[in-house]
Amino acid sequence: MKVIKYIFIFIFITSSELFSREYLVVQSTTSTVNTGLLDMLSNYFQKETGIEVRTIAVGTGTAISNAKNGDGDVLLVHSKLDELKFVEDGYGVERYELMYNDFIFVGPHDDPAKISNAKNIKDVMKIINFSKFKFISRDDNSGTHKKELSLWKNNNLSLPDHKNYIRTGTGMANTLNIASEMQAYTFTDRGTWISFPNKKDLKILYENDESLHNPYGIIAVSPKKFPHVEYEKSLKFIEWLTQGKGKDLIKSFEIDGERLFFVNE
Amino acid sequence: MLTYEKIFDAIFISLQVSVISTILSFFLSIIFSYIIAINNFTLKRTIIAFIGSLTSIPPVCAGLIVYLLISRSGPLGWMEILYTPSAMIIAQFLIIFPIMTTLFVNYIQDEYPRFSEELTSYGASKRDLIYLLIKNKRTIYMTVLLIGFGRAISEYGAAAIVGGSIDQVTRNMTSMIALETSKGNVLTGVILGIVLILLSLIISFIINILKKKND
Repeated sequence: MKVIKYIFIFIFITSSELFSREYLVVQSTTSTVNTGLLDMLSNYFQKETGIEVRTIAVGTGTAISNAKNGDGDVLLVHSKLDELKFVEDGYGVERYELMYNDFIFVGPHDDPAKISNAKNIKDVMKIINFSKFKFISRDDNSGTHKKELSLWKNNNLSLPDHKNYIRTGTGMANTLNIASEMQAYTFTDRGTWISFPNKKDLKILYENDESLHNPYGIIAVSPKKFPHVEYEKSLKFIEWLTQGKGKDLIKSFEIDGERLFFVNE
Repeated sequence: MLTYEKIFDAIFISLQVSVISTILSFFLSIIFSYIIAINNFTLKRTIIAFIGSLTSIPPVCAGLIVYLLISRSGPLGWMEILYTPSAMIIAQFLIIFPIMTTLFVNYIQDEYPRFSEELTSYGASKRDLIYLLIKNKRTIYMTVLLIGFGRAISEYGAAAIVGGSIDQVTRNMTSMIALETSKGNVLTGVILGIVLILLSLIISFIINILKKKND
């Protein structure tokens, strides 16, 4: 037992951040972290308040389950129904609208399935389901995957079960890479698309549809459920993002001259 | 967006975590392997076989085990070490400890009987034997140390799961390569890959030089 005690002491000594937790853990999605938005925001926030923000980039589903285990102070994801349920179940305090953009369909330049001719979203989903051209699904419980599933459901279509409905189970940018290599169609959020550096073999084929709205919500994890969370700091961060300087920074965040996220005025 | 600073951070985090986990595992595996190799007790063979089978534990499984232990809802959640370098150290420890222990146990079981017969007749105690064993074959210990380090620094999966790949905190070289490649920044991935391969090469060169000295 003595040895085990020394192991723990050693680990404690080697990690100084154990004793004082001057940081927030934000469970978030790949679309907010990999675009660089959260990095930029947390840098400014730390400069202003001294509070460090550490972001975990996973899919929305994983982020929510991590937060439900108490492994995070703030949840920033994009799947409104799940977020409301998270709050309802007592894990979160309140959901705030943070920002939004939209989802798009991308695919090869020659568009063999002629998705760009589709009149509405139902057409698009039908073409993907029946045309049997390659379509790549995230299949990882992320916000984007959940949105795709809801599109099948809301348009009364079952999930395609032919072998050209490909499930990657990985992040958005990686899925775009795979789509590019396979010359397949896929469904993505606009933020990841704009920041994706390797888009030369793909282009946007269907966009600007009301049903493709993509709102991001932010929730502080409830201190009643998990007494260890840094609730005060979380609130400060959320307020800074929704009303303070963070809001202006989100508005001014651009890649190659394109805005990635929009805020409700 | 990606600066050299971030790359150096990743290299530093990789080195820091792997060095600590290797040293920790090194000393504990020496102690542990002497205890089980020299003493005779029931289940000795079973324990050695069990540790031997753990040498091939996939890093993601080690990561998962540590994750379940130190998550807030796990038994060690109160320690608050998920998503910190400490968590990565524990996960890497779990991967390399069985490897180092197995190598040491094999070596001690080979050498100890020869030493003990001869030297106990001269009146050497157990402690003297262990001291001589360590002193005489120092290079073997160096080799095992470097094997452990090479495995720890090149591992991907365990550290990524329990570290969370947080920028400038727990994002080591391997998780940065995976991340940048998946984001489509293949060039950054290649640069980091070259650094990692160079490090591995240096390590294997050192091992080879030591082996030659030992022969």
